Amino acid sequence: MGRLSWRLATVADVRPETDRVVTLALDVPDWDGHRPGQHVDVRLTAEDGYQAERPYSIASAPDGSRIELAVERLEDGEVSPYLAGELRTGDQLELRGPIGGYFVWEPDRGGPLLLVGGGSGVVPLMAMLRRRAAAGSQVPARLLYSARTLEDVIFREELERLAAAGDGLAVTYALTRAQPAGWEGYARRIDAVMLEEVGWRPGERPLAYVCGPTRLVEAVAGHLVALGHDPSRVRTERFGPTGVP
Amino acid sequence: MTMDETDLRLDGNAVAGMLAEMSGFDLTVCWGACAGCGATSQLGAVLVYAHGMGVVACCPSCGQHLLRVARGEGRWWLDLRGLAWLQLDEQARVTG
Amino acid sequence: MGGFVSRGFKGRRRAGPDQETRLPPGQYAEPGFPVLTAGPTPRIDLKDWRLRVEGLVASPREWTWEEVQALARSTFEGDIHCVTRWSKLGTSFTGVSVDTLLDAVEPLPQASHVVAFCYGGYTTNLPLEDVQGGKAWVVWEHEGEPLPAEHGGPARLLVPHLYFWKSAKWLNGLRLLDHDAPGFWESLGYHNRGDPWREERYWGD
Repeated sequence: MGRLSWRLATVADVRPETDRVVTLALDVPDWDGHRPGQHVDVRLTAEDGYQAERPYSIASAPDGSRIELAVERLEDGEVSPYLAGELRTGDQLELRGPIGGYFVWEPDRGGPLLLVGGGSGVVPLMAMLRRRAAAGSQVPARLLYSARTLEDVIFREELERLAAAGDGLAVTYALTRAQPAGWEGYARRIDAVMLEEVGWRPGERPLAYVCGPTRLVEAVAGHLVALGHDPSRVRTERFGPTGVP
Repeated sequence: MTMDETDLRLDGNAVAGMLAEMSGFDLTVCWGACAGCGATSQLGAVLVYAHGMGVVACCPSCGQHLLRVARGEGRWWLDLRGLAWLQLDEQARVTG
Repeated sequence: MGGFVSRGFKGRRRAGPDQETRLPPGQYAEPGFPVLTAGPTPRIDLKDWRLRVEGLVASPREWTWEEVQALARSTFEGDIHCVTRWSKLGTSFTGVSVDTLLDAVEPLPQASHVVAFCYGGYTTNLPLEDVQGGKAWVVWEHEGEPLPAEHGGPARLLVPHLYFWKSAKWLNGLRLLDHDAPGFWESLGYHNRGDPWREERYWGD
């Protein structure tokens, strides 16, 4: 069962992933674990009582009372500049969760698995891949990850390592804004042709998880269905600004 | 920066915590039927506009409102007229 | 609400000391112009756009975009207040005064209330007197620029003495009634009138 009450986590580590993205490692008292794809709600309170709340996907596989979030610092953000710029080891952070059983994949759901992520949308997908690796799962999996440049790819070294493990995971990048010299991979936004080349055939009945900005998620989900995939096997999670009262 | 509405459109996952606080259930996995077109969806898959005064959830099939939620001063207001029914699964209960 | 204070968190708000006295209770000064949304942004072609004023009036009328632009221009300069607690101080909108529109249609004596109805289906209700006497406009410019679609363009209602949800975006028309008819937010717990100086945010306030 999920837990709803707000509790105080302690920041155990803050480490940069890219120019804009930071991993926060948090120790959460009485954490009962989580399912890959779930998120926590983080709440910040100013001295005058003003509060701001945002959801953040858990990036880590279940690991005792330790969870990791990967926060992208948004230029005009209200919460992300604090989380990805101000927080220090030893600080406390109020959060609740885990929440959200819809956008979840665990090895016993089987596959083959198609994960499509844009920007920070890769975060919940990373939790799925980390869980898959920790469980020694051989469920065939393909990650198609769209980022602006290679430097913006979050978890790049770890993804290379996971893909090299020979357990049935393939990782493909689509670099939309700039590519390194000699780049032979995709240099455009994800489209139907790319999904057909990279993804599973509809007859293989993959489970698809699509996460990122709304525009990308809706385009990809639309393409997958148009390519013949079963809509009930395509799950989506849109990332974007929230201002829930 | 200009935003068009696709940027401000999310889905039920974005308001999972708020809906759980309101209802005591993880509504993202709960099924509902649209009172307009009859389509059924898990609420994690419904379209949500949540940037401001309240939450408006829309049917992914026909776009009609499924539910609306506002909160303020320790009170919640729910308009569930857009749902023909909402199924709450015991397994989706969340604890305090 | 929680008691834990996040070290060093201030949020986006900033208010100079001279601004504080202009703020209604519970508000903070916001230099930007947040976009709030309850649905998709309607995209209306100006050639199809109409503004109707109808209901309990002697002469219901409909204006095209060109016709409304030809009416006497009027500018509001001042402050706007959103129920989500931000206030934007010292801004300006230009359009036509609602008084000009009402003069053209001649409200009947029994007309007591107005419903603003909008492209996309949004509605909000007001007492008729809250849109008379220089208190309301239909505007299509914000700070000298055409009103962007995400802020209600082509044209929105502007009723700055009330919370900004009454300033209905994507305005299609006003309907005069002899009774009150709660609109989109008023039928979901928000206050029927919404006076920020009395902090009328929610039903029962």
